[in-house]
Amino acid sequence: MADNQTSTPDKPITYSDGRATRLFDHFKREWQIYLMLLPTIVWFLVFLYKPMYGLQIAFKDYSIFRGVAGSPWVGWEHFQTLFTNDQFLRAVSNTIKISALNLLFGFPAPIILALLFNEVLNATYKRTAQTIVYLPHFISSVIIAGIVITAFSPTAGIVNTFISWLGFDPVYFLTQPQWFRPIFVGTGIWQEAGFGSIVFLAAIAGVNPSLYESAVVDGANRWQMMWKITIPSILPTILIMLIIRIGNVMEVSFELVILLYQPSTYETADVVNTWVYRQGLQSGQYDLAAAAGLFNAVVAFVLVMTANTISRRYSRTSLW
Amino acid sequence: MSGVNLSGIVKAYGAVQVVHGIDLEVAEKEFVVLVGPSGCGKSTTLRMVAGLEEITAGELTIDDRRMNRVAPKDRDVAMVFQNYALYPHLNVADNMAFGLRIRKMPKDEIKTTIDDVAEILGLTPYLDRRPADLSGGQRQRVAMGRAIVRHPKVFLFDEPLSNLDAKLRTQMRAEIKRLHNRLGVTSIYVTHDQVEAMTLADRIVVMNDGNIEQVGTPMELFNDPANVFVAGFLGSPPMNQIKGVLTATGAQIEGTEIKLSGAVNDNVGRDVIVGIRPEHVTLEAGEDTTALPIALDLVEPLGSEALLHARSGDDNLVFKADTNGDIAHLSGVKEVHVPSHLVKLFDAETGRALNLGA
Repeated sequence: MADNQTSTPDKPITYSDGRATRLFDHFKREWQIYLMLLPTIVWFLVFLYKPMYGLQIAFKDYSIFRGVAGSPWVGWEHFQTLFTNDQFLRAVSNTIKISALNLLFGFPAPIILALLFNEVLNATYKRTAQTIVYLPHFISSVIIAGIVITAFSPTAGIVNTFISWLGFDPVYFLTQPQWFRPIFVGTGIWQEAGFGSIVFLAAIAGVNPSLYESAVVDGANRWQMMWKITIPSILPTILIMLIIRIGNVMEVSFELVILLYQPSTYETADVVNTWVYRQGLQSGQYDLAAAAGLFNAVVAFVLVMTANTISRRYSRTSLW
Repeated sequence: MSGVNLSGIVKAYGAVQVVHGIDLEVAEKEFVVLVGPSGCGKSTTLRMVAGLEEITAGELTIDDRRMNRVAPKDRDVAMVFQNYALYPHLNVADNMAFGLRIRKMPKDEIKTTIDDVAEILGLTPYLDRRPADLSGGQRQRVAMGRAIVRHPKVFLFDEPLSNLDAKLRTQMRAEIKRLHNRLGVTSIYVTHDQVEAMTLADRIVVMNDGNIEQVGTPMELFNDPANVFVAGFLGSPPMNQIKGVLTATGAQIEGTEIKLSGAVNDNVGRDVIVGIRPEHVTLEAGEDTTALPIALDLVEPLGSEALLHARSGDDNLVFKADTNGDIAHLSGVKEVHVPSHLVKLFDAETGRALNLGA
């Protein structure tokens, strides 16, 4: 009976066990993996999901004496206050401008660095250079800010010393609003570009070496190989990192801003997070600060969703 | 002429020498296959011809021009890689056009060339597809197309079929052969598969441990292997090799004296290895054959023929026999018959072939 031994591929699969049974069997078989996952899930629940309960104070007239549940609802009042507050609007504008500069200059920096490292043939030189550019990442933001403040000091800073050598007057960089953003973005690049290049170096290491060999036989030079092989090959990684970066657009490095800004530079330096910090913790307006934080999160969520959708549609690469 | 000449080619990595001064002449339009086990130096040799590996010593000429210090792009060679080396972000047409664009060929000329080659390779319907959307065989053809569009003087193939399944490999083997007959470009092909070597090559170069063991046409190597390595490497299953001693009338192996066609003369008493190809034996006694008693332990049917796995003394032997549509009659085989003129002899000490006098 040869017919009995042939399969009928078009029939829908009928599982011999139910979904619940199969799921239970799966957990039973893979319980070690789920056990390892547990601490991460607990961490997310405790530190990211449980605090969401407190988000409701963005819609309440919150009082620490009445508590979250006991405070009366006020609807969108805090959001109306926010969008009529010049300082908040300025903070939103500053956040977007600094993030745009970070995207424009800070995002390509580690990619360029990784491409440059990839071209270095001397292993000792490469290792040394990599160590040097990775180091700032491991230095605390407080020390980084200290170095920057010292470097740009009008009296003893290396930058002003150089400017004086050239015959110009010292510039009070950190008190002048127009200098804050370039210094802030530049500091971020100095601190993180090296470490950020590791991801792209790993992506470059994953490019099939025969692609380069084939290109060499075809007559491509190093520059052509970088443009036509390396960059297109790591494009999925670049896009993933870009989506993550876009999701963090509203999260400008809060610590560094706090450490570097001063009232004279609020005009260009004050970002949403620093405004929230001042309003929420220093002035005790927790409900208003919560509304600002929620606004930040919603904008970030919309941005990351949009970026992910565009990337998936046009490049077949996406976070999920 | 677009021949390739390797003279005393050596490759060393530090103190470790992997290719030990090989000499090889590949004539114009010839299809030469380098074959050997993994690590024998065949791919390294090919990569030296391509310019992807530096030549430590010796001289490489293509078209009578010394190529040792010439950049790969200026050697006018095209290479097909084992994993195809297709650019995943480019479609088939762009993959094939890559080398031409690098060489700044005019756009309309590139298009014409690609259309022509795609037609030859049956790739016209797939020109807009990316490699990920192609089957293994189609990818392989794109890799060949990319080499062909360059119109190089020499094609270099580095195990191009080893990632394909057996059926596709057979198909692509035939396509490569047809393509070579059509284009007539000098080709050097590396493989560890002796069937590919036998079917494709005008001449086969058998390599082992960085040395060339033998160069010749497939049938020369099959019929007259220079040593036990070549005898054991070519042929499927490989040649049976049985230890023996020459006597005045033949070669004495355990319990049996194998008749030989040549005269032993003063070689009596010499330790030898007796080589018998699995397909050279018969089940019926014939003129000038020796009956070799065997203890059959397995019959593997292959369709029209079967493999007989047997023992003779301490030796494990394999023979081929016609099934005539049924293997039942093979289970009772007690002996095979070895024609004397097809028996090969090798020196037991050096492994080199022995040619007995008439």
